[in-house]
Amino acid sequence: MALMAERRTRGTMTGSEPTRTTTGRAAAIAEQLHHECTLLLELFRKKESLPPDLTVADDRLVSVPPSSSQLETRDKVWRLYSALLQCRSLLDRAISREDAELAGGEKGEYEGQRKTVKERLALLLSSIGELLKAVDGTAVLTPDTGGIEIDGPTVLFEVKLWIYRIFKELDYWTKTTMTTLQALPSVTAKEQGRTSRRRRSTRR
Amino acid sequence: MPRLCFSAKPLPNPCPWWLLCVLLGLSALQAHTKDAPTVPQQVSLSANLQSQQLSVSWLGGAVSTFDLIILRTELNETVFYDTVSVGLDEVSGRCQWNWTSVEPLECTSLSVRLRSRDGETASEWSDTQILQGKDLPSNTKSQMYPQDRVVPVGSNTTFCCIVGEGMSFGSIRYKIPVLNVTRLSRRSYASTGTNQGPSITSGTNVLCLNSDDRILTGAVVFVGYPPLPQDLVCETRNLSSAVCQWNRGRETHLYGKRKMTYYKLNARSCTVPIANRQELLECSLDQWVGNWTLLAENPLGQYHLTDSAELSHRVRPVAPASLNPVIHVWNATVQWQWKYKSYDALALLCEVDLSSNWRSTTRTFPGVGLRSVVLLDLHPNEDYTVKVRCGAQQNFWKWGDWSDPVAFRTKMDIPQTLDVWVWMASDNTGRVIWKPLTPRESHGQITGYELTLWSPEENVQHTEMLPHTAYDVPINLTHFSGTGKVIATITAKNGAGMSPPASVVIPLHMTDMEASAVPQAVYTEDGFHLSWQSDANASCGYVVEWHDAFCPVQDCPVEWTKVPSESTNVSIQSGDFQPGVRYNFSLYMCSSDRTEVLQRWQGYMQELVPSSAVPHLLTNQQDPNIELTWGDIPLVSRRGFLLGYHIYLNNGSQLTLLANLSDPNSRSYTVQGLPGGSYKFTVKAYTSAGEGTGATASISLEPYTDWVILEILTAMGTMAVCLVVVTFLCYKKRKWVKKAFYPDIPEPKLAGDWPRTQGPLDVKPSPHSMVHIVEEPEWDSSKEALVIIPEEEEDMGTGDEPADTDEPTSLRYYNQVIDERPIRPRYPDSSDSSTSSLDSGRTDVTYTGIQTSASSLAFHNQPQSSSEPQPNPPLISGGGGGYRPQMQPAAPAQIPALMDPHSQPVPQPGGGASGYQPQCSWRMDSPGEAGESEGLAPCLGSPTSITSTQFLLPDGESEEDAEDKAQGLSSATTWFHNLLSSGKP
Repeated sequence: MALMAERRTRGTMTGSEPTRTTTGRAAAIAEQLHHECTLLLELFRKKESLPPDLTVADDRLVSVPPSSSQLETRDKVWRLYSALLQCRSLLDRAISREDAELAGGEKGEYEGQRKTVKERLALLLSSIGELLKAVDGTAVLTPDTGGIEIDGPTVLFEVKLWIYRIFKELDYWTKTTMTTLQALPSVTAKEQGRTSRRRRSTRR
Repeated sequence: MPRLCFSAKPLPNPCPWWLLCVLLGLSALQAHTKDAPTVPQQVSLSANLQSQQLSVSWLGGAVSTFDLIILRTELNETVFYDTVSVGLDEVSGRCQWNWTSVEPLECTSLSVRLRSRDGETASEWSDTQILQGKDLPSNTKSQMYPQDRVVPVGSNTTFCCIVGEGMSFGSIRYKIPVLNVTRLSRRSYASTGTNQGPSITSGTNVLCLNSDDRILTGAVVFVGYPPLPQDLVCETRNLSSAVCQWNRGRETHLYGKRKMTYYKLNARSCTVPIANRQELLECSLDQWVGNWTLLAENPLGQYHLTDSAELSHRVRPVAPASLNPVIHVWNATVQWQWKYKSYDALALLCEVDLSSNWRSTTRTFPGVGLRSVVLLDLHPNEDYTVKVRCGAQQNFWKWGDWSDPVAFRTKMDIPQTLDVWVWMASDNTGRVIWKPLTPRESHGQITGYELTLWSPEENVQHTEMLPHTAYDVPINLTHFSGTGKVIATITAKNGAGMSPPASVVIPLHMTDMEASAVPQAVYTEDGFHLSWQSDANASCGYVVEWHDAFCPVQDCPVEWTKVPSESTNVSIQSGDFQPGVRYNFSLYMCSSDRTEVLQRWQGYMQELVPSSAVPHLLTNQQDPNIELTWGDIPLVSRRGFLLGYHIYLNNGSQLTLLANLSDPNSRSYTVQGLPGGSYKFTVKAYTSAGEGTGATASISLEPYTDWVILEILTAMGTMAVCLVVVTFLCYKKRKWVKKAFYPDIPEPKLAGDWPRTQGPLDVKPSPHSMVHIVEEPEWDSSKEALVIIPEEEEDMGTGDEPADTDEPTSLRYYNQVIDERPIRPRYPDSSDSSTSSLDSGRTDVTYTGIQTSASSLAFHNQPQSSSEPQPNPPLISGGGGGYRPQMQPAAPAQIPALMDPHSQPVPQPGGGASGYQPQCSWRMDSPGEAGESEGLAPCLGSPTSITSTQFLLPDGESEEDAEDKAQGLSSATTWFHNLLSSGKP
């Protein structure tokens, strides 16, 4: 697993109203994207006549620091942001490989859904970027995704499975993002409480 | 013919002995070799995995035939074993033999051995050579072969799945269906997809599944066709280079950079996008070579197309550039540029597409190096769009591309002359009306109108400026004396100036003519066709004017058309014509000094049924007929020319046609010959389209009263005459009447000589009355009495008497000695009448069956009319005749007493029943018994037959009795009956 070189300035998480609105919006986009990813997976499986219970390798294509309950909210959001950025790189590569080697210029339902997912993912990244900017107070720096395996296999059947894994990966991370962001406001409120208690105890 | 693997070379310049020795030696060696061919040496294997071809090469010695065996190494199964003839590769000096495997060579290891064969003799087997497969234990991963293979449609492809170490094989699926499996080695399994169909763009997946149907590995196979392009055509645009186009042709089903079709034109690669699905492909060459070859190639094959032509025959100019219109009023010049200088000397034919108001026209212009054209016959102030394309005038090949369109608007001009008319509503008032100019006629936006009324004779002029929205203006000619003609002149103005004036001599107002006097105009599909006699005075032609016949006078939309003087007919067509609307047409003659009407017409575009019923439908009885009257249907409601009326008798559910009045002017109809009763009449007007809704009126027809009164009077007169005659006759015959109706009543006399022997005495009563029985003077009032035998008893005895007959029944009286004992009341067994009779008379005369013909039926109908007395005898009231027993008055209050079986019957002295009068003059034979019946003394002993005239007649005293007067009518009836029975006057 390649480690990401993350450069960011840690700020103080503030539970302001705009942040809550941004979080809710990002969560809604993630939910929509998760739904669209599920549909994309299904369309791909049908197009390729793959079995419904198709299982692929368990090893993840996206490398992020392990999740932990000890992580602060901003770190959780940063982790999601990093994973989704990698997903976008993988998705772009997958679409490029597929168009070059497996497509004939069709504009069918699958291709349309793939385009929708790509655009929705960009929107989600933008929304989470705003969220990070709001909570960190600094501009978001793009995580380094150079370490991930992005070229994919050469055998076309392996390419298909690789594309499927990318879609599954995106499906997983959009679901994780949705769940995390939906739980974020309450966490934010608790942290606000903890922060204020800590401040009070410091004053004493 | 196979050649030897090696050849022996002759030795130079030998001596005969040496030669002989060598020949002998060689002969010996050859004989030895023939016995045992040499074992093939240096056997080597090489594999072409893509073509699945295995090449075996070796040094084979002198023979050309070899036995060759190929086995699957692991399972030691023979894949191939045969004797082959192999030639010698002169370059390498080795023998080589190729074998194509059904399965991919990676599927499992193959062992190869061979031996030389010379006829029946074979050498030893060579050492085994092994082609390693991918199923070696060292290669633990699951694999599938072949990968990404491209095969033609309809072919068979064998796939093998090498299961990973420690995994279990399940099946091989081609898309979805499961294939039959052949085991090749411990881990390798093979299946064949047969007669494969075209793949989708991403290929056909072949999956290797484990026993849990989970994917172990897989492969993709692309099934398609070799390329088959069509219609290669090369042309030039710049007169030097070549642009070639062709059709992609049959779908190859092969996409992606590894499988797509690549094209080369004259050995030069053509760039075609990977995802390009266009049918028409294009490739350019810098120089015109005159011959072109297109090579289309994909993994399944290649295809060639050729074309050849001279440059001058394949010129297709580029699109003209930079179109620039130079605009005038009625024309425009369009200029353009050419991209290539070489066009300057090219004879061109250009096509100009000119569009205006969604109408498009095409004009062609020839010229060498053509760069501009003049477009004539345009219209002022009109928008145009123009585009140009050109082709070679000589050896025309194809039109070039259209230029980009350019829009322009021509300049304005003065408006056209207006079409004006004057419609007079009265002698001095009317309207000047003109037709609005279309954009093409106005030549620019109209800014206003100028109207001038002037009289040349009076030299009076009146001018009025009107806005551009006006299309008519009211006029009043009171300013003019009316002695001379008045001319209306109007002009239209726009930005370019004023139109030529349009004038009309104001016509005289014409009063409306009687509608029936106006001829009808017939509408055909060409419109209303009107024709007239030529008028020599119509120097400036005719005007046909028309309008809705019922439009308001002041605001009537009038239309007109002008007809040249040489024409005498016209067909009027208008989009405003409506069905069911009457239009008035007027033909005016136009000359320089007057305008006057020549003829008029009326017509309908389409006649409809009347929209309203006939108004004011009234019914009026005119004995004995019914007159129907109605009013005129309003003209606007007629919607056609009325042809008449239908008169119906309306019975509520259906209409019965009574009359068809074909005169549309009819306003009444008389219905004749109907009997009294209620009637409804429906009157419907009809046109050529049918009849409209009807009006209904009802009437109740009374009988003719004069005749009734006359009949009553006649009847009354007749009755009066009859009364007078009867009265007169009665007066004349009053004595007879007295005798007949009021005769003197003789004293009853009873002869004492009645036989005392018991036996029936048959008495036949008179058919008319039984009164005669008691009239016998011999009737004795002694104790000898007549006892009537009940009929039924007689019936039982004789049985031959009819039970019911109109004939008077024979009365049987038993002359018997009456018991001396006092008569006990027989009640309840006896009837009231019987009891009354016994109690009142004691005469020993008992009547039990006296009856007249009239009463006999009544008695027989009683169910208890047997020998027993009737307990409840029928109460006979009125003068029905017949027998009326002595009985108590049938007063309702006494009925319960009669019903009481224990109550004694109480004689009622004054209660004589109608039709019966007790014989009060009778004397009591038994004083003793008389004493018991004192109260009844006046009436005792009276027989009880009402048919007895003698007994029932009142005596002189009783006539005076007031109560008996009430019986008078009954008695009179009896007498009258008796009179009739006697037949005497």
